Amino acid sequence: MRRTLVVVALALAGADLVPLVLVVKQAVTPERESFAWPPTWLPGTLTAENFRAVTAAVELGRGFALSATVAALTVAATLALVLPAAWLAARRPRADRRLDTVLTAARLLPAIALAVPLATIFVALGLYNHPAGIGLWLTHTLVALPFAFFPLRAAFRAVPLELEEAALLDGASPIGAFVRVTLPLVRPALGAAALLVFLVSWDEFAYALLLQVTHRPLPPLLYYLAAFGHPGLASAVATIMLAPAVAVVILLEPALRGGVLAGSGR
Amino acid sequence: MRDRRALLAAPLAGYLVLLLAYPTVFAVKLAFTDTVAGRFPSLASFRVLATDPLFRRALVGNVVLPVCTVALELATGLAMALLLAAPLPARRLLRAIVVLPFALPEIVFLAIMRWVFTSRGYANAALAELGLAPVDWLVPGRPLTYAVVVAVDAWHTTPIVFLMLLAALAAIPDEIGEAARLDGAGPVQRLVHVTLPLLRPALAGALLLRGVDALRIFATPLVLAGVEGAPVLSTYAYHQWSDYGDDGAAAAAGVVLAVATVVLSLPLLRRRAEAVR
Repeated sequence: MRRTLVVVALALAGADLVPLVLVVKQAVTPERESFAWPPTWLPGTLTAENFRAVTAAVELGRGFALSATVAALTVAATLALVLPAAWLAARRPRADRRLDTVLTAARLLPAIALAVPLATIFVALGLYNHPAGIGLWLTHTLVALPFAFFPLRAAFRAVPLELEEAALLDGASPIGAFVRVTLPLVRPALGAAALLVFLVSWDEFAYALLLQVTHRPLPPLLYYLAAFGHPGLASAVATIMLAPAVAVVILLEPALRGGVLAGSGR
Repeated sequence: MRDRRALLAAPLAGYLVLLLAYPTVFAVKLAFTDTVAGRFPSLASFRVLATDPLFRRALVGNVVLPVCTVALELATGLAMALLLAAPLPARRLLRAIVVLPFALPEIVFLAIMRWVFTSRGYANAALAELGLAPVDWLVPGRPLTYAVVVAVDAWHTTPIVFLMLLAALAAIPDEIGEAARLDGAGPVQRLVHVTLPLLRPALAGALLLRGVDALRIFATPLVLAGVEGAPVLSTYAYHQWSDYGDDGAAAAAGVVLAVATVVLSLPLLRRRAEAVR
């Protein structure tokens, strides 16, 4: 019984490693080998030519910069909007009910239903297909809000009210009490939320595809590379894209139990 | 004091009005505008949908794909959680590995799956090594194409269900299973009569969350099968918008999807409101 369980668990883990292994393998194999039939399971020749091609392609360099910029700005905007609201939600049940409902609704809305009107609005504002991704940044912030709000609200709830009250009695201003007493106590949750939000933006595909048609970040670039038959180049881009994602998920593994990864509360 | 504190949510509220409420209203207006004649209100875009066979296929696909995907990932997610809750060697490492498919960015995972399921891809190479004939996995419109889309989407998102159920399993005190064991219950009886009833809230939560998520399935059918291979409402709207430049029809399809999502997510929102109260 126990042996069977171990074998099943190992088989499962093995199967779940296959996609990762295949993409890294294609990234370090010459493209002509990736086109061969039958495809090889392990690299016949090791090469760095795909990664050199990535650095040589101007559009890919720009895509990398755009993805990183939009993700970093999304982290900043999301945390700035969410921090005060999450604190309020943790302290005020009435505000909490409203914020919880609205952010759950925002979390559930289909991207396409919102991307089409946003595209039209952004065209009028000059933010559509913006070279610095301003429109995409504003949109990713909307997508990311629940992923920061729910874990931060939980963290603020865990800070005893008495600590904040004691700081106020000692003469601290409300903002001073927040910055010097509350914020340090939620720092782990804040770091986790920042990483998660970065990842949400870094991985996001649907809005990026619709809102950035020529100034493309990495996900739509990878889509076109894969669709138009560049297995080596696409796999090199994929490897660059997945590195931070895998690192963040492994770093956050203990914090990811429950619904945090799915952007839901509790 | 009371009113001033509520101002803390003001930036977020203002942002949500501009980026969520306004575009939603705009989407409804766009859907009911005749984009050729510029008339509002008009049902012209919905008439386009009603007469388009691809829209009907997308509607059916938007039921079939989510139902099958969620059923598959609840079953596998539960099995994985039960398996990896057991005291196995290297359990932490195994848990991290089975979350990997979801850790990969969706588009990376789908690009790999494209190479796996093309005619000269890894799936057919594996069949060839077993001495079997190659299979055309992704012929547009065939049941096998839908099955591949379901399997790939479930593979990518099962770790979410797994993590939710694993957390719920960890919250069940060991004493309960122990007591059942002392009362003479076997492993299957303990699973059916003790563990599963205790997991019910978590299973219902996972079903609602993933169910509503699955309704907006977009990238998996698009990347694997294109806009006509296994169409859903999102790929249909994208097709209208990017290939025909028909904002009105795209918005109308988006509104149909949004309304379906809202209706189906009401139980989720009500559940949350009760939990918060």
